[in-house]
Amino acid sequence: MSAGMSQITTWLRDPNPTSRRQARLGQAYMAWLRMRRNPLAMVGLGIVAVLMIMAAFAPWLAPHDPITQDLSNRLHPPFTPGHILGTDDFGRDILSRILYGSRITLFIIGLVAVTAPVFGLAVGTVAGYFGGWTDEILMRITDIFLAFPKLILALALVAVLGPGMENAILAIAITSWPPYARVARAETLTVRTSDYIAAVRLQGAGPVRIILGHVMPMCLPSVIIRVTLDMAGVILIAAGLGFLGLGVQPPLPEWGAMISAGRKYLFEQWWVATMPGLAIFIVSLGFNLLGDGLRDVLDPRSAGR
Amino acid sequence: MALIEIDNLSVTFLSKGHRVNAVKDVSLSVAAQESFGLVGESGSGKSTILRAICGLAPISGGAIRIGGQVLDRKAGKAFAVRVQMVFQDPYASLHPRHTIDRTLSEPLAIHGIGDTDARVMRALDDVGLPRNFRFRFPHQLSGGQRQRVAIARALMLEPEILLLDEPTSALDASVQAETLNLLNRLRAERGLTFLMVSHDLAVIDHMCDRVLVMQHGAAVEELTRDQLAGAQMKTDYARSLFAASADRMLAG
Repeated sequence: MSAGMSQITTWLRDPNPTSRRQARLGQAYMAWLRMRRNPLAMVGLGIVAVLMIMAAFAPWLAPHDPITQDLSNRLHPPFTPGHILGTDDFGRDILSRILYGSRITLFIIGLVAVTAPVFGLAVGTVAGYFGGWTDEILMRITDIFLAFPKLILALALVAVLGPGMENAILAIAITSWPPYARVARAETLTVRTSDYIAAVRLQGAGPVRIILGHVMPMCLPSVIIRVTLDMAGVILIAAGLGFLGLGVQPPLPEWGAMISAGRKYLFEQWWVATMPGLAIFIVSLGFNLLGDGLRDVLDPRSAGR
Repeated sequence: MALIEIDNLSVTFLSKGHRVNAVKDVSLSVAAQESFGLVGESGSGKSTILRAICGLAPISGGAIRIGGQVLDRKAGKAFAVRVQMVFQDPYASLHPRHTIDRTLSEPLAIHGIGDTDARVMRALDDVGLPRNFRFRFPHQLSGGQRQRVAIARALMLEPEILLLDEPTSALDASVQAETLNLLNRLRAERGLTFLMVSHDLAVIDHMCDRVLVMQHGAAVEELTRDQLAGAQMKTDYARSLFAASADRMLAG
């Protein structure tokens, strides 16, 4: 086993890789080694990993059904036998609801993470690469979206589209792409005048090939870092929409909606609102720490060493 | 007939409302398989001429003809097959996130040329890089090795003309000589035409059949290699430039 491991490490560390795949995996391994030296980033990664495990195995981890109501057991405090985190006003186990809620949170994060940054990256690189009128038009549109506070714009969109999880995700995605466009454009502006872009243009490459193959890889690290740091914000907006009753609808166990439901009992039965609040806090913290660590790993200026 | 003809070329940049005449009325012609040098101090407009040929600098007057044809800005691919360029700084001219393999196979992909593996291997052999460097990233290479990759990349499309923008000024002296010898060998083997820019007359002397001395964006004097070796300059500026690098020319 350990002989096999060391064989893999030597293969990954080989300074003269024999295939593209080996070269790419070797780079990834070096990045992983850099990341492992940062304990806070590893804590962040751990939290995110736990979130994923929770979401994947919620039916097996949860001691009770998250939806079934049991009014005879309502508002039990934490550490009641069978209900470690207590029960809410309908007698549902809070731990189970948090575990199932992680699925919803992860679903929202996942969908936002694959839509908004991709769109922002495309807008930013196109604007930065072509410059002139293209840049003016695309960036003014971006400015219009940036001019509204995120949550207010998301609220307006949900109000128009109607409450629900899909519409909440759509609203969050639509409100969160402009910063990625800005980041990508700034990065593109520094890259587009470089000699390696001039060289590939001189070889006859068209704009699509240059933007996709040569500009985007340079923008990707800053966008990925930005995405991980923004995930905390996305969770909070999703929770905010849930809290206001415009996001995920009851009885689904969304963390923001759970806080909202616990608000009525905040002084006497504090755990109903506090437990999902803690979950939001921990997951947000995890993504922030991970983002900070990724910045050290992915930053092109540190990747050379 | 000359392969590269430049007639009264002027290049004007607009920067912050000022008009900067980077190149003023420069004419030159380079015959096929000739090696022509452009020499002058920084800011004399020599690199701008190369960039104007590639369409990277705006031409405000005059004409550039390659093989008798006036340069067409839209003929990107057709132009690429005839003319390629090696940039000054090998640390800036290779994409930092592409392997050597990707850098060398990109021109083949753009032009739809197959047989990528064999061609990349041959290109590495031609510039004297070990084949096992193929999947390295630029940051795993030294400056001289990077410049060899840049030369290999420029030759992937088998162009007739190679534009060299101070190809060795970022390298240290021993690597400089190696790289220049490599370029000379490739020119002899493939019958390439060189248009080379340098601020160093010693480099030009080693590489070029004829040289045009430039100052402040204008041509000062054209010299053949024999005139250069015999120190037969007519203008004071060319003589002072010669004096500045004469000791190294004699040593080499």
